[in-house]
Amino acid sequence: MPLPESEAPARSERAERAYPVSRREDALVIGREAQRLGLLFGLAKKRAGELAIVVSELASNIAKYGVRGEIALSFDPDGEGDVRVSARDVGPPFRDLELAKTDGCDDRGPIDPAGIIGRGGLGTGLGAVLRLADHFECRQDEAGKEITVLFHREPVSKRRRT
Amino acid sequence: MSNESEIIEIPPDRLQRIIQGLSYATVDKFAACLDLLRTGGQKDDDFGELEMAFTVFVEELSSAKTALKDTLNKHEQANRELEMKLQMIEMQQAAIRDLSTPIIEVWAGVLCLPVVGLVDSQRSAEMTETLLEMIVAKQARTAIVDITGIDVMDTKTADHFIKMAKAVRLLGSECILSGINPSIAQTLTHIGVDLTGIRTMRNLRDALQAHLRDTEQLGAARAGRNARKPEIAE
Repeated sequence: MPLPESEAPARSERAERAYPVSRREDALVIGREAQRLGLLFGLAKKRAGELAIVVSELASNIAKYGVRGEIALSFDPDGEGDVRVSARDVGPPFRDLELAKTDGCDDRGPIDPAGIIGRGGLGTGLGAVLRLADHFECRQDEAGKEITVLFHREPVSKRRRT
Repeated sequence: MSNESEIIEIPPDRLQRIIQGLSYATVDKFAACLDLLRTGGQKDDDFGELEMAFTVFVEELSSAKTALKDTLNKHEQANRELEMKLQMIEMQQAAIRDLSTPIIEVWAGVLCLPVVGLVDSQRSAEMTETLLEMIVAKQARTAIVDITGIDVMDTKTADHFIKMAKAVRLLGSECILSGINPSIAQTLTHIGVDLTGIRTMRNLRDALQAHLRDTEQLGAARAGRNARKPEIAE
């Protein structure tokens, strides 16, 4: 999956790169790849790490609920210096998206703390995505869903101060 | 070429050759078929033209079939290679899974979890599970979670790490967090996590030394009690 070093995103940064996701391990691999590409794209080290987390959270959701799907990355899609991350899968739609976004919940409701053991997650994945990325969008129907976020270059913490 | 109305004569042996040749070609015996067709030699009559055309046709068919077989073989080979690669990926994925919570028993009763790479919510949950299970299984007195390799963590994940440390204490062991970087330290204080009872050390080395000091003190205290000397360890 990792691209050759020479293939810096600067060359074709607007083109979308898609990575198939079907297992949990894919999430970590794609997350790291996003981090690498983010650094090449010129994101600060911390911001690139945050991109990795966003990508990894979205990808592990695909592996967990989405059956199979893909993560698509595009760097600077509309000339604003952002990174666009799309997560598409063929899994069932969220029963309740607002609930799913809430920390400690999945799309059915709060996760029993005792149930976290063996569940493989804390129910904070989408929360993390919302905290670290911008412009969350979700389109879904019976055939699947697509979550798209824009990831601004400057860190969230800096923006809030201004 | 003769007129349509004209009737041509076909010697039975030549007709027989064609029929025989066809049946050879049908069962993919092109070499035998061509040998047979060539034994007759080239006759310069009407039927000879058909024989010629048939021979050329069989030759073409033969080479096309050979090419197809070659391609199929190559495909099969490529498929086998692909399957092997998939198997390799499968193994690597298992390796990644194992490496995502690398818990090492560095000492009797001391577990060390060096966290490197990317920590998302799912991985932190997996780590907690594995660490708690290992503490019970190994009857560890101390667990050192070293996060030197981590630059960035989501607030909820950082919070979960602190909860993991507290859960370790509930099991009767001590959890030392080491290598917290400034950014994560800020995250933790920013979200107002209760840090009481959480022991943190600058790095893995300090954490190990802290453990050794504790063990020595404990040993000294025991020795003191046994010798009935009221010596208090510092």
